[in-house]
This record gives sequence, C-alpha cells and structure tokens, in this order.
Amino acid sequence: MAERSFSKEVEALKLGDGETFEGEGILAVTKALLQSGVSYVGGYQGAPVSHLIDVMVDAGDLLDDLGVHLETCTNEASAAAMLGASINYPLRGAVTWKSVVGTNVAADALSNLASPGVIGGAMIVIGEDYGEGASVIQERSYAYAMKCGIWLLDPRPDLPTIVNTVEQGFALSEATHAPVMLELRIRACHVTGEFTTKDNRRGQFSGRNKLSGPPKFDYMRLAHPPVTFVHEKLKAEHRLPAAQAFAREQKLNEVFDGDVSEIGIVVLGGLYNSVVRTLGRIGLADLFGAARIPIYVLNLAYPLVPDEVAQFCAGKRAVLIVEEGNPDYIEQQINTQLRRADIQTQIHGKDCLPAAGEYTQDVLLRGLAAFLTKTRPAGVDADAIAARVETMLAHRPAATKSTGEIPPRPPGFCTGCPERPVFSAVKLMQRELGPTHISTDIGCHSFATLPPFSMGNSILGYGMSLAAAAAVGPNMERRPITVMGDGGFWHNGLITGVASNLFNKGDGVLIVMQNGYTSATGQQFMPSSKDSYAASGQTMDIEQTLRTFGVKWLRKVRTYNVATMLKTLKEAMQTAERGLKVIIADGECQLARQRRVRVEDAEKLKRGERVTRARYGVDDEICTGDHSCMRLSGCPSLTVKPSPDPLRTDPVATVIESCVGCGLCGEVAHAAVLCPSFYRAEIIRNATAWDRFLFAMRRGFLGLFGIRLPQAEPALAPIPALARANTTLDARTTTPT
Amino acid sequence: MSAAPDRPITLLIAALGGEGGGVLTDWIVKAATHAGYPVQSTSIPGVAQRTGATTYYIEVVPATWRALNGRRPVLSLTPGVGDIDIMAATELLEAGRAIANGFVTRDRTLMIGATGRSYLTTEKMAMGDGRYDRDLLIQAINDNARDNLLIDMETLAKANGTMISSVMLGALAGSGVMPMTADDFEAAIRAEGKAADANLRGFRAGLDAAKARLPVATPEEIKKRSRETLDDLERAATAFPDAAREIVLEGVRRLVAYQSARYARLYLDRLAPFAGGDPILLRETARHLAVRMSFEDVIRVAQAKIAPERFARIAREELKASGEPFVITDFLKPGIDEFCQILPPRLARAILNLSARRGWLGRVYFGMEVNTTSITGFLRFWLLAKLRGWRPHCHRYHEEQKAIEGWLGLIRDAAARSPELAREIAECARLIKGYGDTHARGTANFASIETQVIRPALAGTIPLPLAVDAVASARAAALADPEGESLTRCLAAIAAQTALPTAAE
Repeated sequence: MAERSFSKEVEALKLGDGETFEGEGILAVTKALLQSGVSYVGGYQGAPVSHLIDVMVDAGDLLDDLGVHLETCTNEASAAAMLGASINYPLRGAVTWKSVVGTNVAADALSNLASPGVIGGAMIVIGEDYGEGASVIQERSYAYAMKCGIWLLDPRPDLPTIVNTVEQGFALSEATHAPVMLELRIRACHVTGEFTTKDNRRGQFSGRNKLSGPPKFDYMRLAHPPVTFVHEKLKAEHRLPAAQAFAREQKLNEVFDGDVSEIGIVVLGGLYNSVVRTLGRIGLADLFGAARIPIYVLNLAYPLVPDEVAQFCAGKRAVLIVEEGNPDYIEQQINTQLRRADIQTQIHGKDCLPAAGEYTQDVLLRGLAAFLTKTRPAGVDADAIAARVETMLAHRPAATKSTGEIPPRPPGFCTGCPERPVFSAVKLMQRELGPTHISTDIGCHSFATLPPFSMGNSILGYGMSLAAAAAVGPNMERRPITVMGDGGFWHNGLITGVASNLFNKGDGVLIVMQNGYTSATGQQFMPSSKDSYAASGQTMDIEQTLRTFGVKWLRKVRTYNVATMLKTLKEAMQTAERGLKVIIADGECQLARQRRVRVEDAEKLKRGERVTRARYGVDDEICTGDHSCMRLSGCPSLTVKPSPDPLRTDPVATVIESCVGCGLCGEVAHAAVLCPSFYRAEIIRNATAWDRFLFAMRRGFLGLFGIRLPQAEPALAPIPALARANTTLDARTTTPT
Repeated sequence: MSAAPDRPITLLIAALGGEGGGVLTDWIVKAATHAGYPVQSTSIPGVAQRTGATTYYIEVVPATWRALNGRRPVLSLTPGVGDIDIMAATELLEAGRAIANGFVTRDRTLMIGATGRSYLTTEKMAMGDGRYDRDLLIQAINDNARDNLLIDMETLAKANGTMISSVMLGALAGSGVMPMTADDFEAAIRAEGKAADANLRGFRAGLDAAKARLPVATPEEIKKRSRETLDDLERAATAFPDAAREIVLEGVRRLVAYQSARYARLYLDRLAPFAGGDPILLRETARHLAVRMSFEDVIRVAQAKIAPERFARIAREELKASGEPFVITDFLKPGIDEFCQILPPRLARAILNLSARRGWLGRVYFGMEVNTTSITGFLRFWLLAKLRGWRPHCHRYHEEQKAIEGWLGLIRDAAARSPELAREIAECARLIKGYGDTHARGTANFASIETQVIRPALAGTIPLPLAVDAVASARAAALADPEGESLTRCLAAIAAQTALPTAAE
C-alpha cells in the first residue's frame, strides 16, 4: 500500500540476541519497542515518524507471533486514547505521531491519561518537526510534558543510546505511573547507525496471553472529579520525585568531564552531537566527544533533576544552556533551582543563542564564541576562538552574493497529480467570477498555495478548513471556497467542519479531494481507501457519509475533467440554493496509481493483452513561448526548453519523459482556450487485429501524402482475411530505420 | 594507522525530492560499511519528497573501525557552514543554492555537480524567458569551490539507461576524496540488487567522467533551420551586412515555405531601408519581422500538424514505436476569431461585428480533439493547409500586414532620432505572440505602449534617454504578469515622470 516497501526493514525487526541492526533511527525505535515487550502499538502517520507504523504494517506475521495489536489510527486523538489500555492493565504500549501538531490533536486524551496515570508502561514517540525540513508551525512539544506531568525523553542521537532510552522509558513509566514521551528530531529519525539487538519480548499480557477480565472497580483510575484533585497532588508530590529518583539511579542523564571546569554546558540529548562537533571545530573537543568543557547531557529533558543540576553547576562560574526554540523552559527551571539552592553560577542561554530557529553549526559556533567571550575561562583564548569563528563564516555574504538570489524550490504536486487540475479550474473560475476567499487545509493540496496557483487565505490545521471559513462566509459578498483532502476529512473535517456547518445552517463551497490515501505522508490507507491495514474491502464512502449527514447539494467530478469542474464550481458559487455545497474531486493519487498500473501493465504485456500508453507533447513550432499553460499547471513534466526556432529567443514548452499521460495539458488547453500546440500520443502494444488493420489502412492513406508511419513488426502476422490488404498497403510504405 | 583523524570527511548532497538522493546516500553508507569505515547519514525527506529541494548529509571517518580500536566517533547530524569536503549537487541551481547557503568554501570543498537543470515553476511560468542565469551559477561554482567536477550526468544516465544517482556515485568515487575504493562502491550497488547492471554502467560512466575531467560544455541548442530556397532570393539575402545575414537568410527561407517567393521578396523590401543603418537594429528588426510575417494562423497550424517529420518524431522519439499502432490526437478550440481569420476582410468584419454585439466573442468556441493519424482527421488539416494560396485574401493577413507596417513605421521614425530607441521599439514585437487571448493581450499591451510611450517619445514629449528606458521597462512590465498590473503601474510611473518637468515650469 504505502509509498515504500519495508520488507528488508521487517527482517531487521526480527533480529535476536547479539545480532547487529543497521538502519534508521526511527526503525531502531521500532525494534526497541518490540524488545521492550509492547502489547499494542498505534499512531497517525506524519514525517518524520511515519516509518514506525509503516514498517509495522508490513510486519504482520511478526506482530502476530508476538501478540502485538497494531492500529493505524484515524487521528492522533484516537492514538493517544489507545494508551488508555495501560491505565488499568499491565500492558506496555506505544503510540506515535508528528509533533507539535499531533500532540495538539491528542491533547485532550493526553491530559485525561496523565491524570490517573498508568500501570503498564505507556510511551508516545513524537517526531519533533522542527527546523530544516519541517512542515508545521514551529513550537516546542516540551510544554505538554510540563503541564501534563508526562516525562520527556530526548536521547542523544546515537542508536544504542536511543534504543536504551526506549527500554528505560518503559521502566520509568511503570516506576512512576506516568506516561512518557520520546522526542526525536527530524534528523534523528533518519540518522543511520547500528546497535546490538536483543530478542523481541512478548508482553506479560497480549493477544497471545489475554487478560481474564477487568480489575475491581477503582474510581482512582478515572479522570473524573473528585479524584482529579487527588491526581494533581499525586503528580506533583509522588510521581515527579519518583521520576527524578529513577533518572538519578538509572543515570539517564550523562556528565562528560573536561579540564576547563570553571564553566560548563547543559545540553538536551538531541543537540549533543551538534555541540560536540562545534566544540571540535574550535579546538575544544576531539572526534570522539572528549571535550575540554564539561557537558551535562539531558537525555531526560523533563523533569530536570535538581540535585544533579546543582551538583554540575556548583563550583562553576558560568553554565551555558543549549535548548532550541522558545520559550527557554530549561533555562528558567535551572535558574529557579539554582536560586533555591543558593548557587551563584551564572546562567547563559538565550543571551548567547537565538530565541528562535534551529541550532545549526553556524548558530552554535557564534553562540559558543559569545559564551566564551563573556566568561573568559582560564586556559582558553576566547578572542582567538571568536576570531576563528568569524573566519569560518566570513565567506558566506560574498558566496550568497555570487549566486544571485536563488529562488526557493518548495515541494509541489507530483507529475499527473489529480489535485492539480482542480486548482486549474479554481483559477479559471476566479478569472471569470472574481477572486474569493479560499480556506485551505493540510495535505498535498496545500501545494496550491505556491506558484503557479498561489491561492489560499488561511490554514488552520488538519481538517479545519471548513470550520475556519465559518465566520468568513456570512461576512463576505462572495461564497468562500474550502478545500479539504480525504485524509483531512476523516482526520477531523467531517465533525469539526461538515457537521458544524450543517448544524449551523451554513453556506459555502467545500471541495473534498478524494485521492484514496493520505498521500502527503506516503500513501497510507485511511477510512475511505479501497482497503485498510486490517482488512480488504473497507467501505466508508465519503459521498454516502455526506448524504447521511444531510448534504443536499453534492457533485462528484473526475478531477482531470477541467471543463466540468469549472462548470460545477461556477454553479456552486452562483446557485441561489443555500446550504453547504460539496464537490467531491475524484482522482486516485497518481503515485499510488502509477505503482499499481505499472505492475498491472507489465503483467498484461507479458500475458499478451492489449495495453495502451499515452503521453502528451507540445509542437515546438506552434508554441510561441508565452507559457500560459505553465501558469495553469505547474506540472514537473511540463517544462521549458530553448526554442528550436533560430528567430525566437524565448524558451518553448515541452513535455519530458516523466509524463504519465494524465491529460491535464490537453484539458487546460481546451478549458482555457490556450493554443493548439498540445497533442496526445498513444501507443498500442499487443494490438488487436482490428487495431493493426486500422493502422495499416491509415498508414497506407497517409503514405499517399508522403507521410511515413513506422511499419508493423514482421513478427506480428496479420490475420489471414486481411493479409492481402496489408500487403498492398505495405508496398506503398517504406519503413525508415 | 597510527594517529586517529581529527575530523570526518563530510559530504553534503543537494537533490530534488523523490529523485534518488536516498538511494545514493544508501550506496555511500553501504560502501563505507563494506570497507569498514565508520559512517553516518541523515536526511530531511518529509514533504520535500514531492519534488522540492532537499539535502542528504553524510560523514565518513577516514580510519577503519579496526584502526580506531574500539573508540566511537561522535558524528554530526547537521552539515556545517564552512565544514564540507564534498558538495554533490544533482541539479545546477541546487549547486548554486548550496553555495548561497555557505556550504562551499575555497579551502576545502570539491563541488561535484550535474549540469542539468530542472526548472522551477516560477522560471517556467514567466511570460518571456524566466530561466535562471546559467553562466552566473557556473561562475559562482568556479569562484567558491576549491575544485569542481561539473558533469552532464543527465546525458550519461540516459545513455546508460539509469538515473543520475548512479552516475553521481561514480563521480564521487572518481574524485578520490573518499577513502572507499571503486570496488567498495560497486559492492554497494550489487548489494542493493535492483537494476544493478544499469546502475553499474552509470557508476562507471560517472567514474570515467570524473577521472577524465572534461571541461563543462554549454548545452547544445538544437535549432531547426529552414530548407534552402531559390538562388536569387538566397543571393539577395546574403547581400545583407554580416551581423544580420544569418537571420535574413533564415527569414527568407521561412517565408517562402510559409507563403511564397513573392512574400519573401516583400520581406526583403521591408528590410531594405534598414540595411545601411545600425547593424544590431537591422538584425533584430529582421528577426522580429520574419516572425511577425509568419504569423500563427490556422493555416500555419494545420501545416505544422501534418508535417511528415512530426509523425516520425513522435513515433520514434516519444513513443519509441517500432511498428506498433499509435494515435496522435490534437487539441484545438477555435473560436469565431479563428474562423474569421480565413474569410475575406469584409465578410470577416461583418461577422466579427455581429458577434461582438451579440457577446459571442470570447464565449463561443468549437472544441475538438482531432485524431490526426486518422483519415478524416488528417484530411481536415490537409485541406486547411491547402488554403495557403488563399491566405493573402484573408482578413487576418490584412490585419497583420497593417500592424507590421505600423510597427516598421515606428522603428523607421525612431531610427532617424536614436538607434537605441528604434531597437527598443523593434524588440516590442516580442509582446505579440500566441493565440486567442494571449495574442489579444499582447496586441493590446503593444498598443498601450505605442500610444502612451512610443508616440509621445517620437513627438518629443518624452526626452530621448528617458524614452529608451521607458520603452524597455514598459516592455518588461508587459511580460511580468498576465493580469497587466505591472504594465499599468509602469505606464503610470512613466506618465508621472514625464509630467514632472512640465509641473516644474
């Protein structure tokens, strides 16, 4: 189903005692979960943690054998709620999602989980989508850990450490009756490395060894007053100190000593490697992590362990806190803890390092130089280091100038994407009826916010677009248009958007992109996919669902049909009929489709069945290089090349080999009355006798006009009845070689 | 090995999402592992997998695990500005981006770059030529990198039936910066299994190219030249000054094929007044005049659609057909305008006026998908193409000749004052191109520039130096956006500027 096959990775999940795992960080976590004896796993896909669930989906037999229950949840709230199984039972479980957005969606369940706490170890693997490569708002997930009383693990991005932290995390959760979060940044999820594996473990209870029944009724297990007041006290007075004690005893955090002991660095585990490399570049550390400045690594980011902090800081003049993003939670806590302990160490952090943005090496170089210049420790030439850092970065302005301003290359719709034509139609509709408010959503379709479409007025979250337009429509002359993917529809949009709109007798136009998968995250199945992970033949139909909900104005349009889409959009915008108007834009994700069709076609070819393949083209003599077609498409396969006309300088349009023949070029040329340059060329393999006869007739006829179509292969013997006709026709055509 | 290295070899790969950068990274990691060197890779795939710019970062310690004797290096997950040994870019603009981001330095970085371009949407959607300056990028690579290996990897990949990634791997191996041997890399390709033979071919092509260190070739531009024509016409054309000869010759040949020898003579006659003047003005006028005189009417489109080379090209190059049946379908949507093009002027005007009154213009179209490989489809184009002899009696022909004479008149008038101004006016012919709406918009833009800038300039109301600038910037503005906002703004600015001296008086 998904974009990638994980068959090789599944084998790595089966490794036993003393073997070596080689692979990505997120897959190491997956293996660590199985080594920890989880009874259930769930999650909602999203970079950078999608692979955790994807690989488990491909590992059905292994999970069966271990008795692990897997759910591909409909959203993060349902994933978080799964952890409810650990409230009453000694079941270890893990769920995963992209954070901070997924944590936001899960927040209600998380609060209600953290309050009663757990018996079985409960772990949330969050992919912290922060910095380069991130696709969501830039916030720290740290706040959730603090407010809920969930312990936040942030291991050094080194596979053995990550795996060990997962195993320790379950023990921590059980020892303190609190859920834990394991935070991995984008690069840590994709970092490669190796570790020595252990055998996978079956859970104490699992699908293989089921619980006999519920425990004796215990009100304390419910997140309900009055016990919520008791839970609050428990969290602060028992679970938190227990977590700190566990961290101390199990040495979750690490201290690396150095000779420049009058200063120190406190760093979150995930940022450790960057700090060591940066120290190495200024001559204060070697390749193996031996640094001259002592480093205290917080593999447990929350809670801090005050006596460890005090012990590290005591006797030091100054300490630098390295934590990315805003607010400076750790700096604030350490300041408070040192004040309470009456330790006078100066705390630096956001005065040397920026409050916002990823701590890349150049940022850390400047930050460390600033820290050293402020503190001037003995045995370190701070000025020389500052000068060295400036030299390292001095080339940048001139380099940037030398290339000119390189325009960004954001991601975009794939070749043949079924969603692109919808925006071609919206653009044409706006050209006729004027611009309107467009409320957009999370998903591939948000690429329409980029050129050549550049449309969309707000993005409020996954599945939120319709709700986000609720107060726009009543205050605007023209109906707003809302765009939502089928992923967003099931994630949240049906209830938050559609139900609320209908309940409030709203108006407006909703376009639901029905491409059959959550495509942006790697084409995972979702409720209206043809199949699901659990069974084939799932039938949650969007159209039927909407009718059941009471949507009256409902049209389903094949997305590639731009003219019909344009007409339907205009009708939706102009009809006097009030109420929600839904257009289901129907077209299978082209990536998924190509994967399917390529295999099917290859099989058909092998069996000798008729297969046609179409691709589109541009006549470069007819194209005048205006590029209107690009402004309505942006397809990667439709690009420009130098004009073959010696008299023209502007480049002309061309369709490159990656074309999948979706037909948008022709549709747009038609719907927008562009130009007569486009054509579709279609080849028939394993042609039928009729195809061959027709082609022979045409070849013969065109031959009269001096046009030579390539001749049929001799291997394909014509059927006897037509043999004579073919021979005579062939006599008039010559085959160019 | 005695002393442990103090830093790893760092390699940053810039690539386009979903185009094999991950596979390339895997190969490198496998090759290093195979050879026993500590290695680590990271990436930021996410949503960039959907055709966006992305990077892969790899560190290799140039000492084997055995030599390190149990010591475990701490490798960085982020590439450092000023800390890159090899910058590998699978696309030329991405090489430029890496430089702009500071990852390429004179003291350390070897740039291994594919010279091919994958154009951005913003480059493609420009109304004229929006392509990023290629020479600037090459110059920046030369100026910023310690050394470079620029290779046309796209062509090598195609020739070997593989992807750029395997060619890039070969170039990396050939660069000699990595501690792994070619055998280690080949072992990695074999271990991956999929399409190993093609990838090995690509790998060796890249390896050879890196070792050969061929100079960067500017991509060849294939120009289709017209066939030779009558001797006296060829002679007349070659009599033009050097600077314009090639263009005039091409113009003459094209117009003979487009219409007739007589029409080509008209072209030469029209150029004659410019022959003794500014050679650049002559060349550019000759270029644009030939294009304008071979305007894209339905007859020309029909000619092009049934050109014998077209069928052969599509069958062989695009469909790779070797005898299998195929079908070519052309998308046409003529409107009333297009039909009137081939009617006599008076009749055409009557119909156009009526259509304008009824509001049919721009609304009534006849969409058709013509199967040009079919007998009836082919005949449709063939008959239309046969109307060539009738063309001089058509409405469109008359309109075009009038417009061309008007434009030439402006150039002639301007040339008498300033060749620069005349060149700018000649260049304005670039605005008029395309079909339907595009053609109408271009014509209207030209008309606005004519009345608001060119005419006043010729009348002397706009001072000359300002006028040259004004025409150039108005033309650029007209090509900036199809909505005409830039042009409107630009014309207003020009009007305000030229009004100033008067206000000051």
